Amino acid sequence: MKHIISRAVAIFLLLLFLPAPSFAQSALERVRKNGELRIGTDATYPPFETAEGGTFTGFDIELGEAIAREMGVRATFINAGFDGIFPALQNGSFDAVMSSVTITPERSASMLFSEPYYDSGQLIAVRQDTQNINVPDDLTGKKVGVQINTTAQYDLEKRAGVQVEKYNTIDLALQDLQNKRIDAVVGDAPVLKWMIFQSFRQLKTVGRRFTDEKFGIALAQGSDDLRRAINAALWRIEDSGEYNRIHEKWFGEAAERALAQTTGGGAGSRAFNFDLVRRLWRLFLSGLWLTARLAILSLAFGLPVGLLLALARVQSSKILAAPAAVYVEVMRGTPLLVQILFIYFVLPSFGVNIPAFWSGIIALTLNSAAYISEIFRAGILSIDVGQMEAARSLGMTYAQAMRRIILPQTFRRVVPPLTNEGIALLKDSSLVTIIGLTELTRTGQELASRYAAPLTIWPVVAIFYLLLTFPLTRVAEYLERRWRPVTRS
Amino acid sequence: MIEVTNVVKRYGPNTVLNNATFQIEEGQLTTILGPSGCGKSTMLRCMNRLEKFDRGRMNIAGVEVLGTEDKKLTAAEEKDLTRRLRAHVGIVFQNFNLFPHLTVLGNAIEAPVTVKGLPRKEAEEVARHYLSKVGLSAKEEFYPAQLSGGQQQRVAIARALAMEPDVILFDEPTSALDPQLIQEVARMFRALDDLGKTIVVVSHDMNFARRISDQVIYFEGGHAVEAGTPEEVFGRPQKEETRAFMRSFQDEDEAGNEADASEGKVEEVADKGTRLSLGQEE
Ligand SMILES: Nc1ncnc2c1ncn2[C@@H]1O[C@H](COP(=O)(O)OP(=O)(O)OP(=O)(O)O)[C@@H](O)[C@H]1O
Ligand SMILES: [Mg+2]
Repeated sequence: MKHIISRAVAIFLLLLFLPAPSFAQSALERVRKNGELRIGTDATYPPFETAEGGTFTGFDIELGEAIAREMGVRATFINAGFDGIFPALQNGSFDAVMSSVTITPERSASMLFSEPYYDSGQLIAVRQDTQNINVPDDLTGKKVGVQINTTAQYDLEKRAGVQVEKYNTIDLALQDLQNKRIDAVVGDAPVLKWMIFQSFRQLKTVGRRFTDEKFGIALAQGSDDLRRAINAALWRIEDSGEYNRIHEKWFGEAAERALAQTTGGGAGSRAFNFDLVRRLWRLFLSGLWLTARLAILSLAFGLPVGLLLALARVQSSKILAAPAAVYVEVMRGTPLLVQILFIYFVLPSFGVNIPAFWSGIIALTLNSAAYISEIFRAGILSIDVGQMEAARSLGMTYAQAMRRIILPQTFRRVVPPLTNEGIALLKDSSLVTIIGLTELTRTGQELASRYAAPLTIWPVVAIFYLLLTFPLTRVAEYLERRWRPVTRS
Repeated sequence: MIEVTNVVKRYGPNTVLNNATFQIEEGQLTTILGPSGCGKSTMLRCMNRLEKFDRGRMNIAGVEVLGTEDKKLTAAEEKDLTRRLRAHVGIVFQNFNLFPHLTVLGNAIEAPVTVKGLPRKEAEEVARHYLSKVGLSAKEEFYPAQLSGGQQQRVAIARALAMEPDVILFDEPTSALDPQLIQEVARMFRALDDLGKTIVVVSHDMNFARRISDQVIYFEGGHAVEAGTPEEVFGRPQKEETRAFMRSFQDEDEAGNEADASEGKVEEVADKGTRLSLGQEE
């Protein structure tokens, strides 16, 4: 869970950086002019929002579409991890957030909310055989799982003696509960019920909702006119019966039966579901493709940048060496996640607006270049100084000696550590999920919660990662063989 | 040809070269002899600008070098100086420093191609010429790691020769080799002499110095104590330091005499005008 804590710290730091947005035109003018309402959502929360290969479904999704229709624009949903969703809203990546967001005083201080559109509340889930947990007070001294940054987390953290375990998605919390690593899970009542009905039949919910929570549409500060327009649309939808129709579709009795049929009756959490994989493999493939492009492009840019940094550091002029050293120190000393967030969320406030994909590439490149430069530097320093002296004594310039004598020997030495770095980069690329890129890991998150089937989805994700690292290590082996220094046979 | 005048070189508080002064005639083979740590290698490295010296003057093959305290050079001037100097002066290192990623031929053509801009074909011709002189024609596709120590040294010599310098510096050419090979090295030096190169050898091997040198310079405490022909320096040393050094080598004198006898044969061969060969073809 360290990973999640560092994420939380990173986002906190980031929020300090974020200046109040100042848009030339008002939010509503922008939406009208573009003819689209961009809605951010973390589509891992059935039945409110799920995604499957870029197609969004769920209660929030249909309601958002109805609201946009009322406003005379179309709704465009943008997928974003829940922990990055509010910074993204503030920075203008979308106009609104519809992601089962509970209206809280804390959140209201930093953003605007529409009128509530759904009444929810927290519910406790336990294993079927658990007898002694029925009300929130029973959670004292227990390990309780929640989804990170949700009102469930905030509520439990106020209760003394509850050991809160945070998860990226709610299905992972439920899986851990089923695996007996935690004692209970707290989450939004409809979501827990849906998930348990789908896949976690060894779990049950107990008691009643112990909080009253209202979901609202979150808007950036200053979007007052957009809020008025959304509220008006919401009232009209409620008046016309459209709201009831959507509610009935997702939460009526028929809904649960229908959902159960589409997913094959919830074998997801207990066994590996081949049918599911057969149906979804294309989605994994497109996640894989994005991960591959992120890693390969970052490596392709990171290698030359890293080499240049290393060269700057090994030569004698301080003018080049010192900035390169500072760069490496800073990039290695700060979390990659913060760097990604900085490029995507903070730079736009300085007028530099880079799309998510390229933000990811740039962050991964700049970060990996620092590590790669150290690999190259160590490689160069490991070459006997006599090599440079011999080359120079024959009249070669420093640059010629470097290029013709030192670097060719360096390259064959650094292939193994560079392979390591390449594989690390491949896996680190999953951090870009925070800026809404649906690469392999994010694909896994979405599908695991969409089908409440973590035990099927994550092994498949692992295999797909192997499909990427395997060719990488093969290429490295080939290079090592080809460049093997000649020795006495 | 080579004039070294009052050269001073310090490493921090440690004065390694202390007013070193000597001359070397063109085409001669000079051995700088002296105890360990007296600054021989440092002297040699200064002559190739691998080290800078603080004070004094050097004139090597017409290139004038002054101590850094006497004349400050800009980066461009420094670059120009080393370029001119190294065009005339080659060096063969104690441990050879061959380029392990290149073949024997690759080692010999690398600098002619990158530094002189010679077309590859032409550079190969030159390199083959010198490789055959050191008797390594058969090994041109080998990598350094596949060669014996003696063969490696000959590659290093061919590599230096391929740049066609006027002066070649050798640091301890016999220290990495076993005794049988030393005789072969001596033969090679004689043949290099015949090519008209000016050769400076650093050694603390007295017998070797006596056998191969036109001139011997005895070095101690960072300066040249005494210089002259081997007969003069070994037979009638003028300075007490020199005599003391000679005495410490007394034990090995007998071995040296034997070597002297064999050297006669080598010269006989060369005198007969048979073809010049720096080593045996293999
Ligand atoms: N880079 C350096 N930094 C500091 N001191 C050095 C450096 N190189 C050499 N010295 C010192 O300079 C002195 C002379 O060294 P040098 O290598 O020239 O001796 P040498 O006569 O070649 O000895 P040997 O016969 O053992 O090779 C030694 O005392 C050595 O410690
Ligand atoms: Mg030495």
